[in-house]
Amino acid sequence: MTPQKVALSPASPAPKPRSNGSPDNPLAAELTRLLGPKKVLSNLSERRNYRYDAIQFGATPLAVVLPESTADVVTAVRAARAAGVPIVGRGAASGLSGGAAPALPGLVISFTRMTRLDIFPERREVRAQAGVVTLAVTEKARPFGLIYPPDPASFRTSTIGGNLGENAGGPLCFKYGVSGDYVRALEFVDADGEVHELTRDAYDLAGLLIGSEGTLGLITEATLRLTPPPKFTRTLMASFAEVGACAEAVSAAIAAGAVPGKLEFMDHACLNAVEDFLHLGLPREAGALLLVDTDGDDLETVEEERALVEAACLAAGGSVRRAAGDAESAALWQARRSVSPALGRIRPQRMNEDIVVPRSVLPEVVREIRALGDASGFHVVQFGHIGDGNLHPNILFDPRRESPDAVHDLAHRIALVAIRHGGVLSGEHGIGTMKRPFMREAVDPVTLEALWDVKRALDPAGVLNPGKVLPEELADEAHP
Amino acid sequence: MNNDIPVQAIGPQGEVMAHAVDACVHCGFCLPACPTYAVLGDEMDSPRGRIVLMKEVLEGTLTLADAAPHLDRCLGCQGCVTACPSGVPYGELITSFRGWSEPQRERSPLDRAKRAAILKILPAPRVFSLAARVGQYAKPLAPVLPAALRAPLDLLPEHVPAMQPSPTVTPAKGQRRGRVAFLAGCAQQALAPNFNAATLRVLARSGIEVVIPEGQGCCGAAALHTGAREEALRLVRQNLAAFDPDDYDAILSNAAGCGAGLKEYPVVLHGLEDEAQARAFAAKVQDISEFLAGLLRDGELEPFLPTSRPLTVAYHDACHLAHAQGVRAAPRELLRAIPGLTVLEVPEGDLCCGSAGTYNLEQPELANQLGVRKAKNILSITPDLIASGNIGCHTQIQSHVRRQGSRVPVLHTVEVLDLAYRGEL
Ligand SMILES: Cc1cc2nc3c(=O)[nH]c(=O)nc-3n(C[C@H](O)[C@H](O)[C@H](O)COP(=O)(O)OP(=O)(O)OC[C@H]3O[C@@H](n4cnc5c(N)ncnc54)[C@H](O)[C@@H]3O)c2cc1C
Ligand code: SF4
Ligand code: SF4
Repeated sequence: MTPQKVALSPASPAPKPRSNGSPDNPLAAELTRLLGPKKVLSNLSERRNYRYDAIQFGATPLAVVLPESTADVVTAVRAARAAGVPIVGRGAASGLSGGAAPALPGLVISFTRMTRLDIFPERREVRAQAGVVTLAVTEKARPFGLIYPPDPASFRTSTIGGNLGENAGGPLCFKYGVSGDYVRALEFVDADGEVHELTRDAYDLAGLLIGSEGTLGLITEATLRLTPPPKFTRTLMASFAEVGACAEAVSAAIAAGAVPGKLEFMDHACLNAVEDFLHLGLPREAGALLLVDTDGDDLETVEEERALVEAACLAAGGSVRRAAGDAESAALWQARRSVSPALGRIRPQRMNEDIVVPRSVLPEVVREIRALGDASGFHVVQFGHIGDGNLHPNILFDPRRESPDAVHDLAHRIALVAIRHGGVLSGEHGIGTMKRPFMREAVDPVTLEALWDVKRALDPAGVLNPGKVLPEELADEAHP
Repeated sequence: MNNDIPVQAIGPQGEVMAHAVDACVHCGFCLPACPTYAVLGDEMDSPRGRIVLMKEVLEGTLTLADAAPHLDRCLGCQGCVTACPSGVPYGELITSFRGWSEPQRERSPLDRAKRAAILKILPAPRVFSLAARVGQYAKPLAPVLPAALRAPLDLLPEHVPAMQPSPTVTPAKGQRRGRVAFLAGCAQQALAPNFNAATLRVLARSGIEVVIPEGQGCCGAAALHTGAREEALRLVRQNLAAFDPDDYDAILSNAAGCGAGLKEYPVVLHGLEDEAQARAFAAKVQDISEFLAGLLRDGELEPFLPTSRPLTVAYHDACHLAHAQGVRAAPRELLRAIPGLTVLEVPEGDLCCGSAGTYNLEQPELANQLGVRKAKNILSITPDLIASGNIGCHTQIQSHVRRQGSRVPVLHTVEVLDLAYRGEL
């Protein structure tokens, strides 16, 4: 997808390719003077690598800063302000909605070197700089008998800053909530380069920053809540001939009172792509696989819940396998985490949806999407956090042979299925540039205007990640 | 990843490269597996970043000189390949790219001379042995030498053993169960002659006759991975002529780097007239541990004597064994088959020790940081022994473990097996 044009224009034109080591534009030169050469990337080869995330390529930045402290971020923001260029925050660039791909040439602030992580076990908290890798939080906490539950499939790569930017969730979110639910306090740098510390008392301004995709401020540090892990976990895998039956089993199990820790599904194409990677012996012929963890501190309840899920699966025509031990359940969960990138084995490019629908309509929705896919001639695959009603229908395509417009059109129709059934456009991957064109269908004009008021209040000049989240025309009105 | 690589203009290697670029969905799953990303924390020194850089150079939108510093820092360890769910053949991409781009590189005369010398000395055991011994005498001078000359000296072990020529045929002991060909290796013959001696003893013990075919040479991996494609092709063809796969049950190597190199022959010859011959050859190639583990599973391996007291061994996965060849279970199975020996896993075990190929000579600073990290990780589990299946890892780990003040023995996996057979563990 090509990035959308937005009203704001950069002060300096895109630089010409050069190959010596010295900064090739005034902003890069000024940043190098202020921060030293190690924290500033100004060569074309370096800057080129900061224009994409896991879904799309954007504009080549004029300069990239790799800050090591909040003070570095402040310096960088002020220099960008002075130069009049937009600022994009970036974590590991594993985002799936184009959030970290700049819509315009400007400054990218990449947090991957801000990795300080302090644990306060007695308070069950960590203080993490924005660039800390998600998994590292649990690794640090585990020796103290604690974990950090938010677990996006990308948790070995993604950063806390990026997670909060997208309010990322993962399989555990069904029972334990998403990233934002674990934030006690946030430090952020605003568009003027001022540092703020937000707690969740009075107005929940921290909540406002969470999920704002770098359009309201740059998160530099967060205080995160930890929890003890459940004492017992039991894993179950069920396979179904058809994806709708899988959804029926989920609805039935939850209606019967089960609250599993994780409830995930993948369809036929997904499980085969994963099987090509991991060779686990998954049932290749199945139309859909369901993976479930029931967990808790009381083994009896955990087993009871597993039995409830099992009964629901059998009633929906599925066949059930219980994981024999920790190793088998770890392998199954690695399988689930690998679904999204493994799809690259089928087609090089994909359009990734992230819809959420009420659980009561799950069977209809997955069947309607299946039918849309079959009729379109594209490979449309589905997986996701089905317990939450969070589905990731993906359209796989080869841009050299298939038209991006047709892909976009199909994505739009899939989004409309969600909206028609009372669902929303994004569960966890954010709006970015990918779903921005659908925003006006999903959010009413009055609410959109309120969102714009918030944006204008915190970022009056529109320098923070322009071209993301809020739809374009209203942006033009905001900045005539 | 979308690309406009002019495949036609580049030829068969262009196809290999475009296919790899195509397959990458830039998801970033490979980032945590990459040692240079772990140390430097920037995108252009990550696998995903390097794929984008190569794509842009191939497309002509970025100069080679711009991209080269970051591509040069790649260890070729293929940690990214293991981590990649999309199946991107990164190893084939970087190797092909280096071969394609090397003739276009602008290098200083000193740089050229250094590379030429490495490529001449490494594959010639006798020359290497001589150079190593000269180097040993130069060691005391190291502090006053320029960095380019100091790096290779740092690598040399305290004691360079005398060359031990290996016999052309080592007969099986007792009943003959099979016949294999063995690649004797290059630098390894000079630096660690006992690796080969132990290999021959262990194989013979289980009834395997070992032939070291005349006329074999260096596997060509060093030339290939530094971009000297013509030289690599010459070596590959020399070996194809020396080893007739039909004559042997297997073609074995006990150096992970060389084994990976041999298994790569079909990619090197992709699109050339001897591609099929390379396939037949590569189908027979196995690492020594794969072959022995096969015997173990079939109940054909002579049982080991128990250790004299309970011992622990830290098994280090050589990148060219674990990532490039996918051999992880076999060496562990063999070590576990020794009664009294417990195998320990090394924290961050998937991260390269920093000695891949000629990396120590070309990127001494990064190699050093990774070596220190590896030694600390290994020593953190306080093993009685350290084992690995590659000469490069062996020298790197030994030198860094010693520098941290530890005297733990560092052995090749087959040396451990050999000691177990003799009851010396
Ligand atoms: C294979 C795969 C699987 C995934 N699975 C999941 C999943 O299960 N659940 C899920 O929720 N997501 C998932 N994702 C999406 C992605 O990993 C998450 O959105 C993640 O939170 C992004 O983190 P990041 O560090 O890579 O951020 P980036 O992609 O770098 O940035 C994401 C957004 O946050 C902003 N941002 C980054 N850092 C900051 C900061 N410090 N301050 C302010 N804004 C900032 C960016 O501008 C951008 O808009 C997956 C992605 C991939 C590739
Ligand atoms: S894991 Fe594979 S597909 Fe993903 S960025 Fe790395 S090489 Fe590309
Ligand atoms: S081969 Fe090793 S060093 Fe090179 S990109 Fe892959 S993981 Fe990194």
